[in-house]
Amino acid sequence: MASSTPSSRLSFRRRFTKAFRGFREKGADRLFLGLVGGAGISVLLLALALVGVLYYTATPSIRAFGLRFLLGSTWNPAAGVYGVLPFVFGTLITGGVALLLAVPLALGASIFLTTQAPLWMRRPVGTAIELLAAVPSVIYGFWGIFVLEPFMRYSVEPQLRIYLGWTGLFDGTPIGTDVLTASVILAVMVVPTITAVSRDTLSAVPAAQKEAALSIGATEWEVTRHATIPYARAGIVGGIILGLGRAIGETMAVTMTIGNHDAIPTSLFSQGQTIASLIANELLSNTGPLQYSAILEAGLVLLGISLSVNAIARLLVWKVLRISRGIVE
Amino acid sequence: MSGSGSGMSGSGTTTGQGSNPPIIQRKPKSMLPLIAGVVVVIIVVLGLGIGGYSAGWFKTASTSTTGSAGCTLPAQTSIVGTGSTLVAPLMDVWESFYWTGTVVNYNALGSSAGITAITGKTVDFGASDAPLNPAQRGAAAGVLEMPESAGGVVPIYNLPSTVYGTGQTHLNFNGTVLAAIFDRSITNWNSTALQALNPTAHLPNIGITPVHRSDGSGTTFIFTSFLSLDNQTWNQTWGKGTGWPTNISGEVGQAHNAGVAAYVVENADTIGYVDLNYALTSGTPVGVGAVQNPKGAYIVANVTDTASALTDSNVHLPAGNGDWYNVSLLNAPGAGDYPITSLTYLLFYQNLSKAYSSYTLANAENLVDFLHWVVTTGQSYSKPLFYVPLPTSITLADDVTINSVTFDGAVIPVCVPT
Repeated sequence: MASSTPSSRLSFRRRFTKAFRGFREKGADRLFLGLVGGAGISVLLLALALVGVLYYTATPSIRAFGLRFLLGSTWNPAAGVYGVLPFVFGTLITGGVALLLAVPLALGASIFLTTQAPLWMRRPVGTAIELLAAVPSVIYGFWGIFVLEPFMRYSVEPQLRIYLGWTGLFDGTPIGTDVLTASVILAVMVVPTITAVSRDTLSAVPAAQKEAALSIGATEWEVTRHATIPYARAGIVGGIILGLGRAIGETMAVTMTIGNHDAIPTSLFSQGQTIASLIANELLSNTGPLQYSAILEAGLVLLGISLSVNAIARLLVWKVLRISRGIVE
Repeated sequence: MSGSGSGMSGSGTTTGQGSNPPIIQRKPKSMLPLIAGVVVVIIVVLGLGIGGYSAGWFKTASTSTTGSAGCTLPAQTSIVGTGSTLVAPLMDVWESFYWTGTVVNYNALGSSAGITAITGKTVDFGASDAPLNPAQRGAAAGVLEMPESAGGVVPIYNLPSTVYGTGQTHLNFNGTVLAAIFDRSITNWNSTALQALNPTAHLPNIGITPVHRSDGSGTTFIFTSFLSLDNQTWNQTWGKGTGWPTNISGEVGQAHNAGVAAYVVENADTIGYVDLNYALTSGTPVGVGAVQNPKGAYIVANVTDTASALTDSNVHLPAGNGDWYNVSLLNAPGAGDYPITSLTYLLFYQNLSKAYSSYTLANAENLVDFLHWVVTTGQSYSKPLFYVPLPTSITLADDVTINSVTFDGAVIPVCVPT
């Protein structure tokens, strides 16, 4: 098994054999390794193929516009001018506001379910919340048009204008179909995801942590705040990132409630457009030259945003949270 | 210790501790037979299903093989089309009533999608309210355009019936005011210009929310063409096209005719533009606006005045493979004509064997038979759905276009079921 001298390099076959235990055995184990290894590699290849095809089809637009595409704020197919900035803003704003609304709600729900709720309640309520995640987004879109929009238009948005209008975030006539309503729908869609992951993470905190806190005289709230949540921080952030990923990729519900206006939203009451809803509306449109590859390039930008957000979150979890956990290790 | 053969076998005798009897574990049952069984069942079921389908076990259509003249009927195939939502309600009825066994499947995704699909040859026919411009005709070389119906595009609005003056049942609009509303020069319902057209109406002092199409749309093409004709500012700033102008804020975009109609129904103080069918089937509180025609009369769209617009326009029809971009029924000259009427077109290839490598003669025969049916029997379904039945002059020209379709260089034989 090992090489004869420490400094000589192992042959490829030797190293392969060392790495994959299944290869050492003959027959069925090798077959098993082959099959599951093949499956694993296929998934990777599929993902690469996806990105590859996107890039290939977007090449005409990339070559024609270069950096102007990423920084331009005009999207005008009829004139052949394409800039993706309005949609990047739309995506980030709706995702951000959705998280702002969803995270406190989801965290509260998961903390309630893991600490305060009586045992008989935990399973049914938890399941009910997870079922919300299974509702198709078109249904959310219909609910948005028929229920949420009138509610926002007549009950919520005028009040927001009155009490929070000084912030400048609520300019413009509220008509119910705007960035804010889309964000609210996204928040509703994202809450089950975050709740489910946080619930799992919080219930995996070992009892020893809580007992240790209790033994030095902490109240329930202090146990949760100082012992449970810090331990589960990494998982919770992971859940939030999953939720954000769902929010920025959401198409149908957003396109029905955001107003489909291809410009940078100047207030929460503006109509806007996210990259996902842009693709849903205009992919088959062909109303201008290079439109198809421009839209696919926007898709690439969305992929880039989603990967960056993921990477930043993981860096955050790794660098910041690990270090500051301290004795809560 | 090396594993042996297939399956998981765990040997489990612990070394005895003193006088304790050895603990014998039962050999865990191997999972392999179970998995193998499930896989076999799945394969058998799929195989039966797919094989059966190919062998025609699931076909429910007619099984006769000879036609009225003793000719051989083509095998039943399926026909797929994509495009205009304007004509979608009529297409739905055609799908149901064209029953020769060949199934027609129409996806209403918007005229632009129809043009893209037929250019990419992913469908048997495309449907578009916007005729192909020269660039699109170049991209889809060999495509024929043929009007299969005509419809009116109407402004619909959501206002309570209290806005009407005595005896009024609809609001009056003209091209200039519509253009001003949709480019946001006019922002309130009780603006001077609109009040001038409706002197007895009690228009509220509320903002107008215009609703447009967010996808590439033939209905938008028709509407913006009309606005360009009547309003010089609109003509110079935005012109006509299948895409709505992108730099007008304060408006809402929705996808498809159905989306615009639903949005106007659900939201007060909105105004949108849809095909006549959607306007008349959406119910209250949607109001259908009257539009002023070149003779000065305010016309509410219905089958009669859109039909008279078609005949009075007296358009010269190009050949199927000609340029239809300038064919227009807008602002027809008659006194009672509805000004925003338009033909809607089917797009299909002239040389079917060259366009579709997988086409058989049966595919071609069925497509041609469907097209013939559409311009003959199909026209009788138009009126109840508020579409204009095509006059003989147009159906004759359409027949010429359909007869020019070839497969393998030869005209396609027609065989009608008995």
